[in-house]
Amino acid sequence: MLKVLIIDDDSIVLFIQEKMLKKYGITNAPISFQDARKAISFLKTQKSDDIFLILLDINMPGMTGWDFLDEIKGMKISEKVFVFMVTSSIDSYDKEKAKKYKSVISFIEKPISADNCIKIKEHPKLKQFLID
Amino acid sequence: MSYIPSALNILVIEDNLGDFILIEDYLNEIQSEVSIKRASNLEEAKTILKSNIQLDTVLLDLSLPDVDDREILVQDIVEFSNKCAVIVLTGYADNDFGVKTLSLGISDYLLKDELTISQLSKSIFYSIERKKSQIQLLESEKKYKSLFNSSPVPMFVLDRHSLEFLSVNDAAIKLYGYSAEEFLSLKVSDLWLNREEPEIEHTVNNNRHGYFEFKISHKKKSGEVIHLEIQSNPISFDGRDARVTLLNDITGRIKAEKLLTDSEQRFKALVQEASDLVMILDFNGNFSHVSPSSELVMGIPADQMLKMNLFDLIHSEDIDQVKKNILKLKNTKRVQIPSYRVKTSSNEWRWIETVLTNLIKDPAVNGLVANSRDITEFVNQEQKLIDSLKRYDIVAKATSDTITDYDVQNDLMQFNHGMELMFGYTPDQICTKGSWWDDKVHPEDAERVKSKVAQVYKNGHGSLQIKYRFRCANGSYKYILDRTYLVTDELGKPLKMIGSMQDITEIQNHIQTIEDHNERLKDIAWTQSHVVRAPLARIMGIIDLLQTDNDIVDQEELLKHILNSATELDGIIRKITNQTEQVTQNFPEC
Repeated sequence: MLKVLIIDDDSIVLFIQEKMLKKYGITNAPISFQDARKAISFLKTQKSDDIFLILLDINMPGMTGWDFLDEIKGMKISEKVFVFMVTSSIDSYDKEKAKKYKSVISFIEKPISADNCIKIKEHPKLKQFLID
Repeated sequence: MSYIPSALNILVIEDNLGDFILIEDYLNEIQSEVSIKRASNLEEAKTILKSNIQLDTVLLDLSLPDVDDREILVQDIVEFSNKCAVIVLTGYADNDFGVKTLSLGISDYLLKDELTISQLSKSIFYSIERKKSQIQLLESEKKYKSLFNSSPVPMFVLDRHSLEFLSVNDAAIKLYGYSAEEFLSLKVSDLWLNREEPEIEHTVNNNRHGYFEFKISHKKKSGEVIHLEIQSNPISFDGRDARVTLLNDITGRIKAEKLLTDSEQRFKALVQEASDLVMILDFNGNFSHVSPSSELVMGIPADQMLKMNLFDLIHSEDIDQVKKNILKLKNTKRVQIPSYRVKTSSNEWRWIETVLTNLIKDPAVNGLVANSRDITEFVNQEQKLIDSLKRYDIVAKATSDTITDYDVQNDLMQFNHGMELMFGYTPDQICTKGSWWDDKVHPEDAERVKSKVAQVYKNGHGSLQIKYRFRCANGSYKYILDRTYLVTDELGKPLKMIGSMQDITEIQNHIQTIEDHNERLKDIAWTQSHVVRAPLARIMGIIDLLQTDNDIVDQEELLKHILNSATELDGIIRKITNQTEQVTQNFPEC
């Protein structure tokens, strides 16, 4: 089963993204976290036969998006995690850095748009889990 | 010289008693004193002939009972009768064989049936005489052969036509190294150094039966070449047309002559064709001899220079020292005059250096021998070197950089005044060991500097340009830009490292300041892209929702979010403005 997680310290951003994901039929029950560490704890409790789509903010106080990626790297379910990095501004440095993480699929610049949602749905790695 | 012996001793070999008595009668008629021996067969004859009985003539009848082969009979008798003549008596039937016996060594043959006293008498005396001359001839030939063989002069006997060897003497065998047998299978032309000797062949052909002489080179068996004078006379040798050739080995003489010629030519070359100018002069500078190289050195032919005076050719600034040195020759045998200038035919000054030897007392010379060498090129090179060193010195003094001069082989390092002015070291603090300098390089830079230098050594050429920090006397560090050049020998072995250390501390500080500013500007840019866009993105997201979502219940809350985000954005923009102002104020004037 596909589970969609949104991780961002900004509650308004969470609100917007929840709305958009629902609106474009990606999920009816997005799971939001304002603190990345809580998302890690959540993932640790999950079954290994689930698939996880994560919208991940980079710049967060405490655990940043990069720290989060480092953390899940060593986890069992890391193979089943598909991450979209969501950031206010995409720079080349971040893109370069993201290549080191197998889980990262793509980048989205805030605010998340209708096009972004369509791209998520159409993404070849995710398409099969989103038919409903 | 013929003479009739007082008594005749005759051996008659005759089996027929009647015939013997007849012959005995005849012999008694011929000579009053005659001693006659008789042998009736070969065995008896041999016994008598071996018995040392004095015999003048043997009369041999060919039909003996104990001999079948008459030819063997004649040969045996001739052999045993040694020095006395053998006359054969034959019947009519044996006339042909009688003639043949002559070639077997008998003196005469007579037909028994026609035998008369006078015929027998004439034959006996004639044969005795001939035998005597034959013996004399043989002895003379023996003497000649012994002379030929033991002569210290190498000699050949050659066939006059084919020029094959017929005989060679011991001296020739010794000279050529061929054995007598080897010689006999050769022709004289096999010894010739050159395969063809048209002149020699011509001489030989034109004087085939006469005397000739010539010079020729031969090859020994060992391949060594010898030079010979040949004298050749025609002779008869064992009945053949031959010639006896005397060889005079003149190899040694020719070598000595060549050595002498070479030595003369060498001497001539040394004196006349050398670049050194050789002159003989007196104390007044007048020449008595000038070598032909004067044309090369001075541009003046020797015969013209002979009429000049040395002192007239010398530069006025140098004349005094030259004269002073020449005067020293009154007390010493030899002086060397240091470099001085002479004027050439084209009014050019050339530097020369002269060694003078006083040979006034030598009657063959009777003067001062001056050996002069043109050293203009050398003097010019030397001047260039001095100029170059002076320039280097001036540059080293004028520059504000520290000049380093490191002798790689001897680990000796020298500095100009920069080491004191730039780094504050006093002369007694400065050490000339390479390690002293190494120690002053900042520990963080030392490894990098070391590996760069090692690379230049390894390449054996080139230069290096490197930045590092160098410790001053007071312990602080200065940023240095070092440009160093490697000097090697022809094989690429490092000899010297010459470098300049430029103080770039100030520049480095400027660079540091600029880098700090860049860092701050990067911060601003990052803030702009992330911090500014965060509230903006939020506002855009909410507006998007408001536009597309019809059933939004909490529009009011969304509008509140927009207001909050706008206020946040405003605050951020004010902060950026302040930061930028700070950067501008802090930026130093360059």
